[in-house]
This record gives sequence, C-alpha cells and structure tokens, in this order.
Amino acid sequence: MAFDLLTTVETGGCSAKIPPRQLEELLKDFPLPADPRILVDISTHDDAGVFRINEETALVFTTDFFPPVVSDGYEFGLIAATNSISDIYAMGGTPLLALNIMMFPSARIPMEVYRDILRGGSDKAREAGVSIIGGHTIDDYPPKYGLAVIGTVHPEKIITNAGVREGDDLILTKPVGTGVILAGHRLRMVSAMQLDGAVAAMKQLNSAGAMLMQKYGVRGATDITGFGLAGHALKMARASGVTVSIDLRSVPLLDGTYSLADQGCIPGAAFRNLDYTENETRTSATADYSLRMIAHDAQTAGGLLMAVAPERTGDLLKDLHVSGHPEAAVIGRAGKREEATLVLV
Amino acid sequence: MKTVDTRGLTCPAPLIRTRQGLNEAAPGEDVQVLIDNPTSLSNVRRYLSDNRLNFTVSEEGGLSVVTVSRGENSELSANEAEYCTPAAVTAPSGRKVTVVAVTSEKMGSGDDELGTKLMVSFFRTLVMLEPAPDAVVFYNTGVKLATDDSQVLDHIRELAEKGVSIYLCTTCINHFGLKDRLPVGSFSDMYQILNVLKDADHIIRP
Repeated sequence: MAFDLLTTVETGGCSAKIPPRQLEELLKDFPLPADPRILVDISTHDDAGVFRINEETALVFTTDFFPPVVSDGYEFGLIAATNSISDIYAMGGTPLLALNIMMFPSARIPMEVYRDILRGGSDKAREAGVSIIGGHTIDDYPPKYGLAVIGTVHPEKIITNAGVREGDDLILTKPVGTGVILAGHRLRMVSAMQLDGAVAAMKQLNSAGAMLMQKYGVRGATDITGFGLAGHALKMARASGVTVSIDLRSVPLLDGTYSLADQGCIPGAAFRNLDYTENETRTSATADYSLRMIAHDAQTAGGLLMAVAPERTGDLLKDLHVSGHPEAAVIGRAGKREEATLVLV
Repeated sequence: MKTVDTRGLTCPAPLIRTRQGLNEAAPGEDVQVLIDNPTSLSNVRRYLSDNRLNFTVSEEGGLSVVTVSRGENSELSANEAEYCTPAAVTAPSGRKVTVVAVTSEKMGSGDDELGTKLMVSFFRTLVMLEPAPDAVVFYNTGVKLATDDSQVLDHIRELAEKGVSIYLCTTCINHFGLKDRLPVGSFSDMYQILNVLKDADHIIRP
C-alpha cells in the first residue's frame, strides 16, 4: 500500500494560508525596494515580481509551496509545480528555470515518496519547458513542496492586476471548486470521477492561456489561487481602479462543487476570503448563497482570469475552447469605479 | 430538540453536520450543535446568520453550544430568487409533486418538423396547466429550448414567474456551448437533477 500523503495534514481545508487581511496588515508598512528596474512589485498584489534587464527582456520571479492536497506523491508534485509555474504565465511570461523547495520529514515518511514528489515536479516542469537546476530540502513535518521559478517577458507586454480597462470582459479559463472538492474528498463525499475532475484541473498548465493573452493583447490578468475567484477579482479591480462585476451563475464549476457547498461543505478558507472581500463588495440580494461561497473557495492551481476588450472576447474564447479549456467562460466585466469595488450578482 | 455533536471534527465537517441536522429537523424544532473549535464555531455562526436563521451561542469550558431555531419555514437557503434554489422540490402538503422532464428539443420521435411544432404547442399548453408543475428539468438537447432565441422562451419565463423551478443541465449546456445564451433557469449538476426527479410523485415527459 502506497503512503497516503493526506494523512499528514490534519486540518483539511481550514489551514495552510495566513488570512489575507492579516497578511496585508503585516506587509502594509514594509519598505519596498526603490530600484527603477523593478517594473512590478507587491504593491499591486501581483502574482510575481518583474525586473527589467534591457529593452527587450524583463525577468519574472515567483515562488509558491504548500502541504499535500492529494494522497499520491507524484500527483502532488505535478500539482505543486503547475501551481508555482502558473504565476509566470499569469504575468504573460515564459517560464525558464526553477529551484525545488521541499520540506520533508525523512524519519516519518518513506523516502520513495520524496522521490515521487520531485519526479512529479520535474515532469511538469519539463512539460512547461522549465529546467529545474537545483533546490533545497529541510526536514519538517508535514511535508511541503513547490518551486521558485524565473521566466522572461517583454517589458512592454507585462500582464498585471493593474491592466484591466473599463469595458473589458472577464474570462475565466478553468472551472472553480478545488477547495470544496478536496474538503469533500476528505469526508468521503466525493465520487472518484469528481475527484479526478478536480485533479485534472489542478495539474493543467496555464501555458495556453498565457500564449493566447499575448495574441489578443490582454494586459490585465491574474491566476486564481488561495484568495478565491472573488479575492483575486477584488485585487485586480483595486489595482486597476475599476469595479468588477461577476455573474455568479456563469462561473464554470467543477462537477460536484455546487451540491457539496449546498450541503455545507464550505472550507474555512472560503470564510476567511469572505472576511477579506466583504467590506468592498456589494452582493445582490438575489445572489445564490452557495455560489457566493464557491466564489470565495481557495483554489489550488486555478485558471487565469483575464480582461479582454469586448470586440475580441468571442475569438479569444473560441481559441481557449480548442486549446484545452473547453469550459472557459465570460464570467463578468469591468466598469467605471463605483462605491463597491467588486459586485457579485 | 435535536442535538448535533461535532466535537473532534475538523472543518468543514461541523458545518456539514449542522446543515444536515437542520434539514432533518421538523419545522419548529430547535437544533443544538456542539462545537469544540473556534474556527468551526465562527464559520457556523457566519453560515447561520447569512442564511438568516435565529440562533444563540453559550460557552462552557471550551465547548460551544449553538442553538438554532429551525423556524416554521421549510426553505433553508438564504437565496430567495427563482433560480438556484436547493435541490428539493416541495409542494403544499397533501398535493402531489409534478416535475416535467424535457429530454429533447422535439416532442416525440419520427418527424423532426412535427416534433418541433408539438413541443411549441406543449409549452403553450403547459403554462395553462392547473395547478402548475413544481419544476421543469431540461437535459440533453432539451436545454436548447431555454436559449435566448427559443420559440418557447416566453412560456418558460412565464412558468418561472409563476414560481415553477427551472433546472438546466450544466453538462449539456457546456456540451452545446450555450452558457451565455440562457436568460432563465438555474444551472444544475446531476446531483440536483436526480434529487428533483427523485422527489417527484409525477414525471411528465413530452
């Protein structure tokens, strides 16, 4: 019997990330480096930092790691790497190099699992055209894994949270619900097919989305991860000085997500994210409760949320549908800044 | 009074048990939930107040007891819109639940042109049916009847306005790429659709 990595994580959906509000408070007065070559820093809450090398090239730099979300080491490696590399794609970049970051309890888990996780990470990196050229391991329990990744982007083609324009349509490339499904899986409320659906989504690279964003001149985008669709949409709207409206009914969902949420399977992270967004959010009185909570569900290796000029929406959507994202959908739009920064309908 | 013991359970299990307990409680019956961790307590409180349920919390040595009054109302969700209501379809007591399952855009098989005509006529007549059905479920090519250019869209709207729940199969919507063209109805997964059909006393299949 293979070692089940999920037995190392006790608290299900509730843990893993520091609450976003607390994090913002902590970093509020943190001095930012003032080098003019830094084109993107954390002030816009972007997915990665960007540093200009010359007129043609800027570096995109990011890291991300987390405890196991699935039982199998190899699959965990694939998912963690997909998630780490995604930040480069979200900035419109091409990933190049990576370092492994691993925390692993050598005395408590068979070392094959260590190898499986690294093999998963390395296979996914290879698929993305990334070379892993080193890394670092610390003995720690529970295990955690991820990558630090470097990519490149043309300095004039950087895609950020701040690039959304009034009138843009918002397209989401992957269905949401990984947090709900993984929590439901721990409680044995999820069918094998539903779990497979979530795992498949989590190990799908956002490479096609990144390429298409450049093709269609997208300048505002983010990937959907720990802060949930609503949290990331809010960060984008803030950074861009617009109000983003999301039509909850048009958000693509992983199979099983709605019924689980409706039965109360709402991970703690969704409540934390709700705390984070609600002061700046207007939710329509007729909005469905479960859909609202799903919009706050923390995602692992989620899709890209991209802002596109409405005249190009149709073509971009068609291209996404034939590039491995059949469920990509327009889920809302950006408008003039109103009192509420995010509107959920 | 019904008691739900969530001690020792980690999030989101306490919330799920709470929801289950409320579902199982008789109208008017109170539900008492025992919770021993602060995160779950805070999430359950938030869930209950968002769903406009009345509750009190008492604490004793690290154990919290949340007492929820279930109320006489049979509807649990905070959502009062005509769409996305929970899966259960209920009819006033003593009346049978009638659900219409539309599995194709045509009525009957044999001649497609005739089938289209018959379906239009079916919906024109359905809006006059007394009492109105409790729900209409659309799946397979049936979902095409609910699109913005459908000949029967006005009839479906009329049904929705009367309080008839309209359920559209999400898998089918995605399959035909219709997501942006459905002005009425709630997007439903198989679990929801199955529950609606299961709760029906009568199923009409045109």
